[in-house]
Amino acid sequence: MEAFLQELKRSLGSNDDLFEMQYVFLGQVVTLLGYTTLTDISMTVSSLQQQEHNARGSRVGEEAFWHTIGSVHPLSVRLAVSAVLDGQVVLLIEGRTAMIVVDAVQRELTRAIEAPSNESVLQGPIGSFNEDLDTNLGLLRKQACTDSMRVLNYSAGVAQRKRLSLIYDARHADADMVGKMIAQIEANLDREIATTQTLSRMLGFTKWQAISKFNTTELPQEAVSAMTKGKVVILVDRLPIAYVLPNLLWDMFALENDRNYTVPIMIIIRTIRVIGVLLTLLAPAFYVALVAVNPEVLRIEMALSVAVSREGVPYPAIVEMLLMLVILELIIEASARLPKSIGPTLTMVGGIIIGQAVVTARLVSNMLIIILAATTIANSTVVGFQNSLSIRMFKYVTVILAAMFGVLGIMAGMVLLCSYLASLHTFGVSYINLSFKGEIKHG
Amino acid sequence: MGKSDKSLHIVLLYCLTQLGVIYFVYPEDIIASAEEGHWLPVVLGIFVNLIVTAAYMKGLRYFPKQDLIGILTGVGKTAAVLFLLPITVYLFMVNLITVRAFAEIITIVFLSNTPLWSIIALLLAISGLIAMNGAFSIMRTGVLLGLLFLPLMAFVIFMSFQNADWRYVFPLLDDNLGFLTHKSYLESLFAFATSFLFLGFVQPEFKYSPKKVLLGIVALIPFYLLAVYIPLLTFGRATASTFKFPFVMVVSTIQINWLMFDRVTMFLLLSLISFTMLFIALLIWQTGVIVGRTIPKVKMSYIVTALSVVTFIGCVMVRNWEDIEELFLCNAVLRLYVWLIVPFAVYLLGLREKRRSGYGNR
Amino acid sequence: MGIAKRLVLGFAAVCLAIPLAGCWDNTDINHRVLPVVMGVSKKEGVFRVFLQIPEPGMNRLRIRIVSETGNTITHAVDKISTNMEEHVDLLHVKIILLDKNYAREGVNDSITDFMRAREISSKALVTICDEELPVFFANVKRAMEQRGSTLYDFFEKNAGWNPQIALTRVWQVYRSIHSYTRDVAIPIVRSGKSLMIEHRGSAVIKNGRMVGRLNGDETLLFNAFSGESTQGRIEVMKSASVLIVSNTLHNRIGLRGRTPYMTSVLKLQVVLLETRGNPTNEVIMNELDELLTKRFMTMFQKIQSKQADILGIGQFYRMIIPRERLANWREDYYPRLEMNLRVQTNIQNTGFLNSP
Repeated sequence: MEAFLQELKRSLGSNDDLFEMQYVFLGQVVTLLGYTTLTDISMTVSSLQQQEHNARGSRVGEEAFWHTIGSVHPLSVRLAVSAVLDGQVVLLIEGRTAMIVVDAVQRELTRAIEAPSNESVLQGPIGSFNEDLDTNLGLLRKQACTDSMRVLNYSAGVAQRKRLSLIYDARHADADMVGKMIAQIEANLDREIATTQTLSRMLGFTKWQAISKFNTTELPQEAVSAMTKGKVVILVDRLPIAYVLPNLLWDMFALENDRNYTVPIMIIIRTIRVIGVLLTLLAPAFYVALVAVNPEVLRIEMALSVAVSREGVPYPAIVEMLLMLVILELIIEASARLPKSIGPTLTMVGGIIIGQAVVTARLVSNMLIIILAATTIANSTVVGFQNSLSIRMFKYVTVILAAMFGVLGIMAGMVLLCSYLASLHTFGVSYINLSFKGEIKHG
Repeated sequence: MGKSDKSLHIVLLYCLTQLGVIYFVYPEDIIASAEEGHWLPVVLGIFVNLIVTAAYMKGLRYFPKQDLIGILTGVGKTAAVLFLLPITVYLFMVNLITVRAFAEIITIVFLSNTPLWSIIALLLAISGLIAMNGAFSIMRTGVLLGLLFLPLMAFVIFMSFQNADWRYVFPLLDDNLGFLTHKSYLESLFAFATSFLFLGFVQPEFKYSPKKVLLGIVALIPFYLLAVYIPLLTFGRATASTFKFPFVMVVSTIQINWLMFDRVTMFLLLSLISFTMLFIALLIWQTGVIVGRTIPKVKMSYIVTALSVVTFIGCVMVRNWEDIEELFLCNAVLRLYVWLIVPFAVYLLGLREKRRSGYGNR
Repeated sequence: MGIAKRLVLGFAAVCLAIPLAGCWDNTDINHRVLPVVMGVSKKEGVFRVFLQIPEPGMNRLRIRIVSETGNTITHAVDKISTNMEEHVDLLHVKIILLDKNYAREGVNDSITDFMRAREISSKALVTICDEELPVFFANVKRAMEQRGSTLYDFFEKNAGWNPQIALTRVWQVYRSIHSYTRDVAIPIVRSGKSLMIEHRGSAVIKNGRMVGRLNGDETLLFNAFSGESTQGRIEVMKSASVLIVSNTLHNRIGLRGRTPYMTSVLKLQVVLLETRGNPTNEVIMNELDELLTKRFMTMFQKIQSKQADILGIGQFYRMIIPRERLANWREDYYPRLEMNLRVQTNIQNTGFLNSP
């Protein structure tokens, strides 16, 4: 008993927020062990005392009492550690070789359900996932409201044990695919899953993906709609996002919330997103190609005005383009880093730089500024931030190829991109499928 | 995955590769081969192609669990060498000719300053990358490219009627069939002689319905006719026969006032070249599969890389357009062999197989 | 994983390729000179090439005219290119101005070369200059710099074009060189005194050689016959003037032995603009019919005598005359062609007033 306690404490390390208290319940001396930072001790103790009082009143035996306050386990350091780390309290009884894991009163460490902070919703349900896995599962259940939803819970990782839930809709999901995923997860339970990268290692994806294998969302609505399309949702404790597998190309353009509008409007909205992606990929590349390699493609009026605006720019179009693209990326990255209160300063300064000063200083042509602005705006029409990052990266491929081969290079870049997208697949589902139940075609 | 029906993918891939080929040399050959009534040579070619492809697929049907290589090696070592070696050489040469010819076209039409080798390298690198990912990936790339570039191409073809003078259609009939023996007509058959082969390579993994493939060929007829007739309608036979790429010429005469771009030719060429890249990828892949079967230890990606490099060296060694045409002629015998003998051989092998298994069952 | 390796390799290839981008000389657009008009004359076997180059400044358009001689056109252009600080790029040449004497001599070779090389677009317009090219360019430059417009605007369908101008592009001239049944008309221009440019009708080009001229009115009929719209044209007659709103043409053709005949009906929709006295509608219609028919027949006789089929009448006989004989259309059939034109006028409205 003493030995076990010593070993348990050693595995938990010397922490000042670890408490160890002795109480007497039903005449037995017990030791309570837990973290003050995770559990509310006074509430837990008073609840235990209340239960003891009730037990005395109803003359419940000692053995039965132990079972009512928690789950009784044989002594196990590993189990005790994970229980304590989970915010539970371990109760040891003097002279016995069993321990009780008591469901303690938790400290409030999770924020309330709020509006999503990375996605914005127009005219749709705005409650979003937060860090607590159970809350998230609850949100899903409430949104789906179906008897065919299945939840599988795992606990993964060695250094950091994290809970992970795999949720799917038994009616829609392909049993084969789910089976493969479950096997993959169960085989890799000792891997860490603290970040998306480590999670994707656990699921057996390569690190070098230009496009995320997951579609991430903060919205229960989107997650549930994915489930009804046969996809699988993975939730990880302490991550306020749902990972939807497999990610498909069409997810870049379609949002479940679009269906809250009428069909023509939905079609227009989605078309705009497609145009946005194409514009992001093509506009900067076209500028480079038309200015440097194939000026005959432009009409003469355009050609002359571009020539005027580039008068005095000392370097080739590709350098001009890359320079400004990098500055723009810096602005985007910086405004993501800065606190919200300083953000506007940056936007203003950035606006002055790309709006006027660079052109006046003849560092770049004002045509380029127009192209850049259009590109940046178009880039943001894509659904899902991780998709917009991928597109942002791909445009460099087309720009560089355009600098070398002109319009041919743009085409080559698009073919390259298409073949890359076509070569991706997740658990046997191709990336470009529209839906993988019917296979074929994307939109 | 492999179980489901992939007809649409396969038909689309077939159509795209055909479209990539027929708008360049094909119209020139057809226009050169006949003085008037050009639809007849076109339709005749397609008709023969239909028969050949049908026989080929019919033959393949008898071996539902094997691909072309499996069927041919199943007959015996000699037969395998007799068939597979010419096919391999043929595919490789077609690949070389296509890459080189397209690189030349690209320099003529829009990249006069860019060195030829870099264009060849670009074409081969991208096609090689597509080929590395395997057949299914090629097909899916085809779907994406089709979605991106077919509308563009349809737009250009639609606009190319701008300067058409319908009276150039006449006379509709030519009473002599002189085109049959014309050298150019035989060359025009190049357009058909390659794309159909891949139907035998995708076989056991992907199922397709032969009827849909044939329908696809029929659906292509208007495109062949357009490729030949739009130049004829715009320029007339006498003028059109002076051009090397009549269709490209027609497109460069299109004037669109409301478009911010001046040369619409570019868009057509880009679409066609993207389809041709697909075609090249398919060729590399097929050659790779055959080579891979003979040396099974080497990984497919290495074979594909090696093939691309060899093709690149071959392409750089070709000096001028005349060399290309010479190669094209050298290839003619192989072409007829692959186009006419191989499909019927497969068909006969299939019949034999059927008889044999019939006895076996009894 | 294979994909990862491929990606890395691809990326490395791209990175290696970046320095290559500068290897072949891709000149940026602001380092290229983009001439819009090219004038070509030929004297004693030596070509003289004029290039009109717009140089847009920040506020106004400046025009620069350069010229050089050479044994071939490209030779001359090349000389200009070496002498200028920037690379001369003929990709955007919109108008090719041919000297009248050169056109009479025959421009087959030049046109064929334009078609062969990718540089000059086959869509470029071909025109003939009625005066010495240096004079023309000097006058035009002066006029244009004041106005800030380009010569090209005069021929744009959506800008300065009007139905008296025959629009003919390089590929059409090329087609006429080879075609059995088709010749072309090319507009003739000269610099104007008060206006920038003056149209002087059009030249009849047969097999690449200028063989005759049409005046503006005749060109209008030529355009009407070729199916171009004559909308906006004002016809002045003895008793009235009318505005042509639309025109359609119907042809009937036939062959009597070796004599082709053709009956054409030109239907015009017109709007009454002015009247002199009180002519009835019938009078106006008859006058118009008479005027146009007479004008057409004069033009037709002119071109028929030159054996130049600019109206493309031979086209109609493609289904009647076999191809091998059609090859001699211009010599055997065309001179014998019996042409008959009828004009049917419909006065669409008479403006705010009742018809007289």
